[in-house]
Amino acid sequence: MAAITGSSIFTTSTSRSFKQNQALKRISNFNSVSLSIKGTSFSSLRLQSAPSRFRISCVAKPETVDKVCEIVRKQLALPADSTVSGESKFASLGADSLDTVEIVMGLEEEFGISVEEESAQTIATVQDAADLIEKLIEKKGA
Amino acid sequence: MFSFLHRTTFMMKIHCYERNFCVSSCSLVPKPLPPRMETHFWYILPDEVKSSSLLNQYLDLLSPCEKENVVRMQGDQLKKRAILARALVRTTIARYQINSQVSPRSLKFRKNIHGKPEVEWQLDEDWRPPPLHFNISHTSSLIACGVTVDSLIGIDVEEKQRTIKNNILSFAQRYFSRHEVELLTSIPDTEVQRQEFIKLWTLKPCFIKTNHFQEAYVKALGRGFSGAPFKTFTIRYGAAISGNFNSEASEIVVESSDDPTNLTSNWEFTLLELAGSHYAAICTEKDNACEGKGNVPRKLTVWKTIPFVEDECVSGTGAVVIIGGLTESEVIT
Repeated sequence: MAAITGSSIFTTSTSRSFKQNQALKRISNFNSVSLSIKGTSFSSLRLQSAPSRFRISCVAKPETVDKVCEIVRKQLALPADSTVSGESKFASLGADSLDTVEIVMGLEEEFGISVEEESAQTIATVQDAADLIEKLIEKKGA
Repeated sequence: MFSFLHRTTFMMKIHCYERNFCVSSCSLVPKPLPPRMETHFWYILPDEVKSSSLLNQYLDLLSPCEKENVVRMQGDQLKKRAILARALVRTTIARYQINSQVSPRSLKFRKNIHGKPEVEWQLDEDWRPPPLHFNISHTSSLIACGVTVDSLIGIDVEEKQRTIKNNILSFAQRYFSRHEVELLTSIPDTEVQRQEFIKLWTLKPCFIKTNHFQEAYVKALGRGFSGAPFKTFTIRYGAAISGNFNSEASEIVVESSDDPTNLTSNWEFTLLELAGSHYAAICTEKDNACEGKGNVPRKLTVWKTIPFVEDECVSGTGAVVIIGGLTESEVIT
């Protein structure tokens, strides 16, 4: 029995294919899994999630998020049917350190900003990146 | 054809009764711990793992936390990579038969104060854990784990054919030290320049991973990309600035960018060409006790593995070509 409560991770039915939304449903069953290791990602690049005060500051426009998604897709050469949204974590999309750097450079070029701040290290998701971009644009305009 | 190979579906079955399937076929060839002054390097090629039942066996070794991480990865290939990376670490360490309690599944990991993953040994009254160090790195086509005893270790692997979208020199100017930029600028051939860039991009993170690991590494990338730790040190081949890039392996040194005369002599690098397709960089501590006697090169043994299926010692073969550093390749049968 897998060490996760009740349900198996992946569907066992022969006819059902594994879909992203099914995975999301299943994640909610993991409530009772205790996270004994702080920080779960073992990928080569682990990004800290932003402190909460930073998150509240601004929510980026959908167009900005879309642009970030586009740049990320291009850099990671993701297949057309893959899901990239504001919630997508860079690490979960398979971005390694070189990819992340290139993505940031791409964003700088696209938006005419300079990511020179420590805040860059708090970017974990596409939404975080979009929020940061808008903050920097605003600063630039001020 | 295994269902795993089906492009649009990723089906894995975890049933209670498949556990005994694992028990009967589980066998890791045990290995003695590497002696001092020796590095063990294990790698797996994801493309060689085609069996969904084998992948299931690997998945079964993971902790709940690690399994959750696998689920979060998007797409079959990333999930597979995540499973293989953790399975490689767990099976590699378990091979060393530390004590009878240790199995791939029972190992626990934690992060040290610098954020570097280490084994959390289950301490017993009479038993002191071995001073085992490990580090892992992966690309989409190769996953590696380096092991030492009594020395910090950092590794990094990168595909030889990796290209970057940005201009190499403008990229280097942000991340690399002045000397490294000069070095790259001095290379007239763009292909050679690209290769040297990739080598540096493998060596530099490798150095940071040796003792600072992810916190510093992520900060190095995230902290404005200027004045980041990446820039504070220079990686050089031998003593020459403008390199000659033929296949002679010369010593790789690291020095402080601010003070080039201050050679940080504690660290030993090895740069390998692996399986013809990857660069691998290994950084370990020099054994200071040997300093008086001159540089005793570290030994390196490399295995290509498919855990539970086969291990192949590839050091001394064409799969491992040492292109930098003074390491000796050791063949162990």
